[in-house]
Amino acid sequence: MATLELDSVTKTFQDGDEEIVAVDDISMSIDDGEFLVVVGPSGCGKSTTLRMIAGLETITSGTIALGDRVINDVKSQDRDIAMVFQSYALYPHMSVKQNMSFGLEESTDLPDDEISRMVTETGELLDIGELLGRKPKDLSGGQQQRVALGRAIVRDPEVFLMDEPLSNLDAKLRAEMRTELQRLQNDLGVTTVYVTHDQTEAMTMGDRIAILDGGELQQIAEPLKCYHEPANQFVASFLGEPSMNFFDVTRDGDRLVGDVFEYPVGDDVRANLGETTDLVLGIRPEAIELVEGESDAHEFEMTVDVVEPMGDENTVYLHFDPDADPESAETLVATIDGFTRVSEGDTVTARIPEDAIHLFDRVTGEALHNRSMEDAADQVNLT
Amino acid sequence: MSDGELRTDGSGATANSRWNLDGVTVEDAALYVVLALAAAFYLVPIESGLVTSFKTGTAIVETAPFAPPGASGFTFEKWQTATDALLRGMGNSLLYAVPATIISALIGSITAYGLTIPNWKASYKALVLALIIAGIFIPYQAVLVPLTQFWSQWVQLSDLLSFVWALGIDDDYVGIVELVVTHVAYGIPICTLLFRTYYKTMSDEMMESARLDGASLRRVYRRIVLPLSGPMFAVVLIYQFTQIWNDLLFTLVIVSTESSPAAPVVLILAGLGTSMEGQDFALRMAGAFFAALPTLAVYILFGDEFAEGVAA
Repeated sequence: MATLELDSVTKTFQDGDEEIVAVDDISMSIDDGEFLVVVGPSGCGKSTTLRMIAGLETITSGTIALGDRVINDVKSQDRDIAMVFQSYALYPHMSVKQNMSFGLEESTDLPDDEISRMVTETGELLDIGELLGRKPKDLSGGQQQRVALGRAIVRDPEVFLMDEPLSNLDAKLRAEMRTELQRLQNDLGVTTVYVTHDQTEAMTMGDRIAILDGGELQQIAEPLKCYHEPANQFVASFLGEPSMNFFDVTRDGDRLVGDVFEYPVGDDVRANLGETTDLVLGIRPEAIELVEGESDAHEFEMTVDVVEPMGDENTVYLHFDPDADPESAETLVATIDGFTRVSEGDTVTARIPEDAIHLFDRVTGEALHNRSMEDAADQVNLT
Repeated sequence: MSDGELRTDGSGATANSRWNLDGVTVEDAALYVVLALAAAFYLVPIESGLVTSFKTGTAIVETAPFAPPGASGFTFEKWQTATDALLRGMGNSLLYAVPATIISALIGSITAYGLTIPNWKASYKALVLALIIAGIFIPYQAVLVPLTQFWSQWVQLSDLLSFVWALGIDDDYVGIVELVVTHVAYGIPICTLLFRTYYKTMSDEMMESARLDGASLRRVYRRIVLPLSGPMFAVVLIYQFTQIWNDLLFTLVIVSTESSPAAPVVLILAGLGTSMEGQDFALRMAGAFFAALPTLAVYILFGDEFAEGVAA
């Protein structure tokens, strides 16, 4: 067990004369036993980061340390790191048992009967005890996934690295494995770095999540903090489904002026904005309420364009101007209770609560004002 | 619809049960005719050779080459003579063909592994690979003179192995050792290329996984790559064995005389059935078939793996 420390880690690839920066100056520290989820769109450098930790890619600059030991120049096989690959990467000519024994045979001097005992034990833990004699090609995708996990677990390494391990499973199995993986990691207490592009996995599994974009670390924090207090507009748009609504607004005194609406803000919000006037207003779809009548400056009369019933909730696409071209008009997406009856063409009043808005610097994307996590939590308690 | 109506007809049903020609179009029929002709075209020479090898001298003159000998013209005599003449050469051929095949396949496999998997700089790998591929295209004829010079002037293997001849083995057998080395050297390029193509298709993640499991490069080869190379070994073994077994040029240059105790089968076969009185066709055919038996055996032995390897 150990902490994993990345200090200004950078990776560049040479493509002809061009230098491509895959990972740009990433620093983060993963605590002993922590489950860190690294998430981002494809090509953001998350897999490269993981492969550098594994020793499968060289590090252009910066250091990676495991405990007190800098492991930049330590070979993969000497790092005491186990990795679970997206393709499972099982050895096709070996039985499940041989697959799981391989690592122990290669990296330790344990006697055969001890290895056999450990493999059987891990097999039981993962519920693949009866499959130990089979070859990988005779297993289902979910079972292969378990073998790949077992192969990593049985070695009891310092660090687990997981590269989108669940993405080849069907939706139901993925949800099950998500819970099971979390439970296993909790029981084993092994430091884990988990790479995914799936924001559900990111939100639900990690102690903390690290969000990457364009090779740069955008934010590293607890999942709910990233969700409610995003560091910038990218994080705000990446987390949440449907994603946050954004409107370009310009501050004019105590009002935010958009193309089709004006939104007054109070002193405490304005205090966070400083001198910046070019802003982006952000509001989560679930923060929007449909109310009766227009009685407040934060309420807007809007036209329903499309309703997507999801069962437990409806996703509603709203327009400010009933006559506007639906293709180009600014749309506000709201998620509302599944029992609320709205249909296309209806005129409704949408309330954008001031305590739920986010404001970003339009030039840098940096968050200037976020809803506070405490406020968000209070609201949940009340309802 | 019309098909269904036809089947209600009693006579139609009987005809269908005997000759199910309903679905056969003109194109299908033409295809089968062409296939049958092509098969005959390829098989006739082999069939002719085989029947000829069982004919007496008069039967050869009296019957067409592809016709069976008939009861009076049938004899095992030529096979007997061919076996007697060639058996000695068979042993000599196996003595260099088997080691040369195995060694070149193993070296090719290891070289290909080195060129495919480890984290060498791509530009270095490309250079080595270019050299190896160039090796495939050097014609045998171009190296005959340097090859003779190499073995006669630069590396006098006969002197180096004097302790072997002291044991009572004929020193002509130096030719066998020279043939092994020559064929291994000549086989490495094509073996490497074949294995490299195969290893390219192996999962990178699997190799990386093995490295992370604590296996060194050597161990990854030994425990992952080599056990998975079976099908490609079948291809390379069959190909190399056939090449080496059938090669006449190097044996002519290195061993040269069929009277030598170390003469390989191809060398004896070249002179078999030829004399001042003319060609003994039956003997030549019997000899050719007998000499081809080992290659046939290799094909049958590794046939399944061969098919798998070619598909991969």
